[in-house]
Amino acid sequence: MRLRGVRKRFGSLEAVKSLDLEIERGSLVGLLGPNGAGKSTAIRMIMSLIRPDEGELAVLGGDALDMKDRIGYLPEERGLYRRMRVGEFLVYVGRLKGLPAQGLALRAAQWLERIELPGVFKSRCQELSKGMQQKVQFIAAVLHDPDLIVLDEPFSGLDPVNARVLLDIVKELQSQGRTILLSTHQMAQAEQLCSRVVLINRGEKILDGATAQVLESHAPHAVEVEPLHGSREASRLAQIPGIARVTGAVDARALVLELVDGTDVREVMAHAIAAVPCRRIEMARATLDDVFVRLVTTHGGHARHEARGRP
Amino acid sequence: MMEQASRAVTAASAAGFRFSRVATIAWREFKHTVFTKGFIIGALALPIVMFGVIGLMPFLISDKPTPVQGTVVVADEDGSVARAIEAGFAQYRGGDESPAAVPQQPNRPSDYFPGDAEIGTPQPIEVDIAVTRVALTADLQAERARVQSGNSLAFIEVPAALLDKAPAADLTLSVLVPTASPAKTTALIERVAREATVVARVERHGGDLAAARAMLRKPSTSTSRLSARGGYAHEDIKIRMFLPGGFMMLMWIAAFTSANQLLTTTIEEKSSKVIEVLLSAASPLELLAGKILGQSAVSALMLSTYGAVGLSGLAFAAMLDLVPITTILLFLVWFVMAYLMVAAIMTAVGSAVNDLREAQSLVQPAMIVMMVPLILWLPITENPTGWLATISSFIPPCGPFVMVLRTTAAIEPIPGWQVFAALAVNAVGTVGFVWAAARIFRVGVLMQGKPPTPRELLRWARAR
Repeated sequence: MRLRGVRKRFGSLEAVKSLDLEIERGSLVGLLGPNGAGKSTAIRMIMSLIRPDEGELAVLGGDALDMKDRIGYLPEERGLYRRMRVGEFLVYVGRLKGLPAQGLALRAAQWLERIELPGVFKSRCQELSKGMQQKVQFIAAVLHDPDLIVLDEPFSGLDPVNARVLLDIVKELQSQGRTILLSTHQMAQAEQLCSRVVLINRGEKILDGATAQVLESHAPHAVEVEPLHGSREASRLAQIPGIARVTGAVDARALVLELVDGTDVREVMAHAIAAVPCRRIEMARATLDDVFVRLVTTHGGHARHEARGRP
Repeated sequence: MMEQASRAVTAASAAGFRFSRVATIAWREFKHTVFTKGFIIGALALPIVMFGVIGLMPFLISDKPTPVQGTVVVADEDGSVARAIEAGFAQYRGGDESPAAVPQQPNRPSDYFPGDAEIGTPQPIEVDIAVTRVALTADLQAERARVQSGNSLAFIEVPAALLDKAPAADLTLSVLVPTASPAKTTALIERVAREATVVARVERHGGDLAAARAMLRKPSTSTSRLSARGGYAHEDIKIRMFLPGGFMMLMWIAAFTSANQLLTTTIEEKSSKVIEVLLSAASPLELLAGKILGQSAVSALMLSTYGAVGLSGLAFAAMLDLVPITTILLFLVWFVMAYLMVAAIMTAVGSAVNDLREAQSLVQPAMIVMMVPLILWLPITENPTGWLATISSFIPPCGPFVMVLRTTAAIEPIPGWQVFAALAVNAVGTVGFVWAAARIFRVGVLMQGKPPTPRELLRWARAR
């Protein structure tokens, strides 16, 4: 997939500003960004649902319109025919995607088993819970074994158990050589899944890189300590030379020792172990969540809400 | 905001258009419309029941009713009414009461009242009724008791004054029947008794029954209408008014039922957000074509069901020659155009709005145009070659409806050039409506928020 200088404007709002993006076959890329950043607009252009105002866009070597049978798409605004039966809906989408009628019902039933929805083949879509409907929609996106899978917020609204089921299937699809582009707000899942992340804010790409490298490059100059006797040891740790500040970690059990620039981490860790009995001590790591918040806030905050009338 | 909408043109293109997708969409559309209780009961079962009733009618009519047997007791002044009643019943013996069956009975009571005979052909009744006469001075209470005990079918008391030359208007025949007397038997006895009273009265005062009958008979009419070109044709007011209306309503109902379905399913797909899933699998043009094709099959099913009922009704009334095959073929051509235009309007509106309430305001202007044939039904039927009929047949989308009215109402064929010109104009109109609907559909189907105005719809249609 290749996007070069792609732009999309809705009146006064420039939803996507000159987006360049290249995704290699077999990779799993996370498209991240705050609400209204332009992720869904970019995805809709990739899917040829809307036409870019400017730029070049090629999917699987051509126009997505001609490649529909090779692309699986789970839109952000998803829905089902409420009164249609689940199996019938999946067979219908499968037929539209060019699958032969023979064996299609069996294939749909197998997918339902695989995604832990056995016994709903003959249920009406309206009888399913929201999470179950979302899993059915996911099947509709992958039923035809597409080469490229585009998932817009696939985990939103799912409980942790169902999110895990979906996450495992996404990993498995990638291991089979599928190219996957997923947009999500859930940084933990993106961090776990994606080999590469692209962050866009206000229609602009502000980060693009391998996940490991992004985390490495944004790692804080700090040491994380979990004292055996809890946070009351903070004052003793603060007296160690080279420590600028001691704060609480996200998990509330550990303390983060922020270092003065140029301080040797190994020396600080040795002093800390000597000063207080520790359950755990390690160099602090960045999370995608940290990176996301830092970059989005330093690039002008959240994007404006999507305009009315916008497709 | 709608300015941006026109720029958010979806990337519809003829590239990748696949008929198998269109067929899949069409089949789903057809299946989910037709195989529902509402449609089966409302649109199919009712005409099928009507069809069944029409088919069974000859058998129902040919079924002979139970014969009427027994004795009727008549109390009159001199026995003249009793004799006339006996003669009256005698004519029904053998199960046929048509005048032709009893030519030897010139004084048959019903012959004096030709107006009654014109009302309808009564069902043949097998009658075997004996008449017993008693004097008005006899024990009438005992005769009434015989009726109550079931020994006689009826007791008829004829006041003497009823046989006067000019009897008082409030004088009545008294007819007493048992509790379980069938309505048809009672009606027969009443009718024969009344007619016999008149026969007896005329005989008493020396009148000529045959002459009176001849003088009272109302002539039938044979009306022809002159055409503008000097020809004339047999005029049948009822057929002239109702046959064109029937054809036009048939087309209207079939086209609008399916087009309304298109409106609601498009809105449903949009509001339930399933539209984006569909558009990831099929292009907007394929989706639109599939939906229109699927509903056209629904429309054709309705048309054939109702059409079959109508034609069988005409066949039953021996009036099938009123609908020549060319009229039916032309009707089908007009129907295709009418359906496509109405379907295009409804789909375009459905794609542009978020719910049915919003759709009403956009559909209303189109509905006003579509109501024109209904409003102009009578004037166009009255004068199918007049300027109003001619002009309105060139205005899509009501042209096809008007042309159906004209071709079925005209005494002599509509001028050929008008038919061909109307075909051409409405065909171009059909292409235009479908083209505009496709343009609006591909933009509107992904739009949300405030519904567009008619002007904005036009802008969408012109968007690249």
